[in-house]
Amino acid sequence: MPASPPQGPPPTSLPTPHIQVDRLELYYGSVPAVRGVSFDVLPGEQLTLLGPSGCGKTTTLRAIAGLEQPTAGEIRIDGIPVYSSARGINIRAEKRGLSMVFQSYAIWPHMTVFENVAYGLRVRGAGAAEITERVHHALDLVQMRSFAARRAAQLSGGQQQRVALARAFVFSPSVLLFDEPLSNLDAKLRADMRIELRALQHRLGITSVYVTHDLEEALAMSDRIVVMRDGLIAQTGTPDEIYRLPNSAFVADFVGSANLIHGRHRADLDVDGLIALETSAGQIVYGMAYGRPVGTELCVSVRTIHLQMSKDPPHAVQNVWHVRVEQTVFQGDFTQVHLDWGTQRLIARGAAVEALASGQEVYITVEPRHVVVLEG
Amino acid sequence: MRSEKSTISVQTMAGYGVAAVAAVLVLYPMFFLLQASLDVGDPQARPPTAYGFDNFNGIFQYPQILLNTLTVSVAATVMALVFGFIMAWILTRTNVPGRDLFEQLMAVPYYLTPLLGALAWSLLGSPESGFINQIWRALGGSNHLIDINTAYGIAWVMALFEGSVAFVMIAAVMKSMDPSLEEASQIIGASRLRTMLRVTLPLVLPGVLGAAIFVFAEMLGSFAAALVLGLPSRYYVITTAMYQMVQQYPPKVQIAAAMGVSLFAVMFFMLFLYRRIVMAGSYVTITGKAFRPRVTDVGKLRYVFFGICLLYLFAAVGLPLATLLYASLQKIAVAFPAAGNWTLENFRIAVTMNAVRSALTNSLLLGLGTATLGVVLMGLLAWLIYRSPLRGRGLIEYVVMFPQAVPRLVFAFGLMWAWVVFPIPIYGTLWLLLIAYLTVFLPLGVRTIAGVMLQIDKSLEECAQMCGASWAFRIRTVTIPLLVPGLIAAWLLLFIASIRELGASILLMGPHSKVITPSIVESWFGTSSELTAALAVIQTLVVAIAMIVLVTVTRRVGARPVE
Repeated sequence: MPASPPQGPPPTSLPTPHIQVDRLELYYGSVPAVRGVSFDVLPGEQLTLLGPSGCGKTTTLRAIAGLEQPTAGEIRIDGIPVYSSARGINIRAEKRGLSMVFQSYAIWPHMTVFENVAYGLRVRGAGAAEITERVHHALDLVQMRSFAARRAAQLSGGQQQRVALARAFVFSPSVLLFDEPLSNLDAKLRADMRIELRALQHRLGITSVYVTHDLEEALAMSDRIVVMRDGLIAQTGTPDEIYRLPNSAFVADFVGSANLIHGRHRADLDVDGLIALETSAGQIVYGMAYGRPVGTELCVSVRTIHLQMSKDPPHAVQNVWHVRVEQTVFQGDFTQVHLDWGTQRLIARGAAVEALASGQEVYITVEPRHVVVLEG
Repeated sequence: MRSEKSTISVQTMAGYGVAAVAAVLVLYPMFFLLQASLDVGDPQARPPTAYGFDNFNGIFQYPQILLNTLTVSVAATVMALVFGFIMAWILTRTNVPGRDLFEQLMAVPYYLTPLLGALAWSLLGSPESGFINQIWRALGGSNHLIDINTAYGIAWVMALFEGSVAFVMIAAVMKSMDPSLEEASQIIGASRLRTMLRVTLPLVLPGVLGAAIFVFAEMLGSFAAALVLGLPSRYYVITTAMYQMVQQYPPKVQIAAAMGVSLFAVMFFMLFLYRRIVMAGSYVTITGKAFRPRVTDVGKLRYVFFGICLLYLFAAVGLPLATLLYASLQKIAVAFPAAGNWTLENFRIAVTMNAVRSALTNSLLLGLGTATLGVVLMGLLAWLIYRSPLRGRGLIEYVVMFPQAVPRLVFAFGLMWAWVVFPIPIYGTLWLLLIAYLTVFLPLGVRTIAGVMLQIDKSLEECAQMCGASWAFRIRTVTIPLLVPGLIAAWLLLFIASIRELGASILLMGPHSKVITPSIVESWFGTSSELTAALAVIQTLVVAIAMIVLVTVTRRVGARPVE
C-alpha cells in the first residue's frame, strides 16, 4: 500500500481554466436572475449557455462581460479575479480584455464598416498601417472586404452580423462572448452562419462563451454545454452527453424531443445491469442508469428517434409492445407518429416514406441503452 | 478596482446636482405663487402678514370672467376637434389627392402661433376697419359681416391653431389602428355601418377624448388671442384678467395669484385625466407597429375633400400670412389701396427704431442663450431620467414636466414674485427672462432629446465598452455623434420657442430688457397696425429660417421634432 498522498493540488492533465465562474448570484432588487452558478471554461473551448428565456443565461454572460454587477460570487479570468464580492473587486468591462457580439449587432450607424471594425484597434492606439492591415484581414475572414466603405444602414442583417463579428475579434481579445448572435437572422442564413462561426472559432482558437436558446445551434457549435433553468445549472456536458444522457425531465424535454415514462422500480426484475420499471398500466420497461442513483419511483426518457416501429414482430425480447397508431403528422423529412400505449401516449419518428394510417397496429421497440434513467 | 465606486458617486452627485437645479427652477417660483395666493394681509408687506383663503373666494366676484373663459374654451375646443377629426379622417382614411404633402403641412398652423393668427384676423375681421367688412360694405352690405372681437372670434382663431394639435392626436390613433380589426368584423358579416359603430368608433374614441381634454386644458391657459382680440371690446378671460390685475394701479396681486393657482389646479387635473385616458386607451396603439391604414376610395368626393383641406390651411396659414404681409407693405392698411399707398417704410422703421432694434437683438440673444444652455441642461436631465441608474429619477421626471401644466403667464407671475425678493437684483434684466425660458421650456427640451436618446440602443454604448473604450472615449465617439441630430433639433426648437415667447415675457421684461413678441403686442395697442404687421413678418421670417434648418436636419436623420 502506498504512502498517504502528498498535500496540495492533485496531479491533473487538465489545463488551467481560462474563465472561472464561482457561485455567481445576481439579483435585480429582490428578483433573482442568477441563483448560484459555477462553471469553468477551458482555453480555446467553446462553451454554450443554453436555456429557455428568463433562465439567467444572458445575465450570466453579461456578468462575465462586466455589463451587469453580480450580487455575490466570483469571476476569474486567467486565474485573476475580475469580480469578487468577498474581496470587493469589480473591474470595469472595458478593462477586462474581453470582446462581445451583441444580439442586436450594435453596429454604429454613424460609422462606415471599416471604422466600426477599426474601433477596438483605435482604442488601443494602433498605428494607421496596422489598423488598415488588421481590419482588412478581419473583413476578409468574414468575407466583407468589399463593403468596407459602406455605412451600417446599407447592410443586410447577415452582413451586419459579419461586421459585428469582425469588430469583435479584430483586436485579438482573449475571450469572445456571444449573446444570441444568430437569433435575428432567418432560418436558412442562421444555418449557414452557424457553420461559418464554428470554422472561424476553430481557426482563431479563441475561448468563447456562447448564449442561445436554440438547441440545434448549441449542439452544432459547442465543445461543452451548460443547460440553465431558473437561474441555476440543470446539467453540464458535451453536446453528445447532453443529448444522449439527459439528467432530468427538463433537460430531456428541452434538448430535443423525448418521451418521459414514470413508474415503479422492479428491482426483482433487474437483469444484466439493466433497470426494470413497471408503469401503472403494468408494462415493464428496461433501461440503464449510467451510474445514477436508482430510487423506488423512476422516470426514464426515450428519444422519439429511438422508438423503432415495424409491422412484423421484432427480434428483440425486451421492450417490445404492440400498439395502435392514433395519428400521424407529416413533417417533411420525417413523420411524427402518435401511438396509444395503454395509459400514455408515445411519440415516435418514422421515415417519411413509411405509410402508416390511423388505427393501424404496429410493433414498437427500443434498445435498453436508449432508455435513460433520470435523476431525482 | 475600488476606483469604480468613487466614479459612481461622482456621477451620482453630479446627477443630483443637475436635478436640484431643475427642482429650484420649477419649484421656487411655484412656492411664491402659492404664498401670494394665500396672502390676505397688507398687500405691500412681504413676507405676508396673514394667511387665508379669502383670495380664492374673491375669484367669484368675477363670475363674468369665469363664464367668458368657459365660453371661449368650449367653443374653441369643439371647433378644433371638428377641424382635427375631419382632417384626420380625410388624410388617413380616404384617397384624397396630395395626402402626404397635406399631412406635413398640417403642422404649420401650430408654428404660426395664436398671436399672429389674432393680429391677422383682427385686420381681417374687426367690425369697423376689418378688410372682410370693408369688402362687405363695398358690395352693398350694411354694418359688418363678421366681428372678430367676440368670444367666437377668439375661439375661431384659437381653433384654427389648436386644430392642428387635435389633428396630430386623432390621426395618430387612426393610423395606429390595425385595419384587420375592421376586416375581422366585416368577414364575420357585419355591415359597414355596424363595423363603423361597433369597432372603428370605440377604438378611435379614447384618442378623440384625449385630444378634447388636452385642447381644452390648453385653451384655459391661452393668452395671446384673448388679449389681442378681447381687449378692444373689454372681453376678459381668466388669463387676460390676471394680466390686467397685475398691470393696473394699485395691482391686485393676491387675487391674481389665486386665479393663477386655481387655473393651474384645473389644468393639472385635466392633464392628469388626459394621461389616464391615453393610458387606458393604449390597447389601440400598444403594438407600435406601423400599419398601412385602410384607405377608402371616395370617388369624385375626393376633390371635395381636397377643397376642405385646402380651405383649412388657407384660413389657418395662407390668409393670415398674406394679410400681415399685405398690411406691412401699406401706409394705411385698407382693403382697397390706392397706388401711392404701398411702402417699405414700415420695415425701415422696424429695423431702425431703437426700441424695436434692441427688442430684436435681445430676443436673438435670449434665443441663442436659452437654446445653448438649455441643450446642455436638458440633455443632462434627459440622460439622468431615461438612461442613468439614479434613484428617484421618476420624481425628477415629474418635476421637469411640471411647467407643462402651468400656463406661462401664471408661471411668470410666480417667477416675478419670487425674483423680486431675490438678493441678486436680476428682476427687470434679461437674466430673469433667461431663467424663465429655461424653466418653462424644460418639458419641450427634455422630451425632444429623450426621444432621440431612447432610439439609441443601449448595446451601442455597451459594445464600445466591450471594445475597451473608456467612459470619456465612448461618450465622445459613440454617444455624442449619435445624439447630435437630436441635440441640434432641440437647440432649434428652443430657439424658435424663445423667439416667440409671449406669456412669460410680457410680465417679466423690464423697460431695458424688451423682447420681440411682447413688443409686437405693445406696438399693436400703442402704435400702428402696419408697423406691427411688419414686426410680425420679420419675426415670422426668423422663425421660418430656423424651421427650414430644423426640417432639413431632422429629415436627414429621420427623427421627428416633438412639441
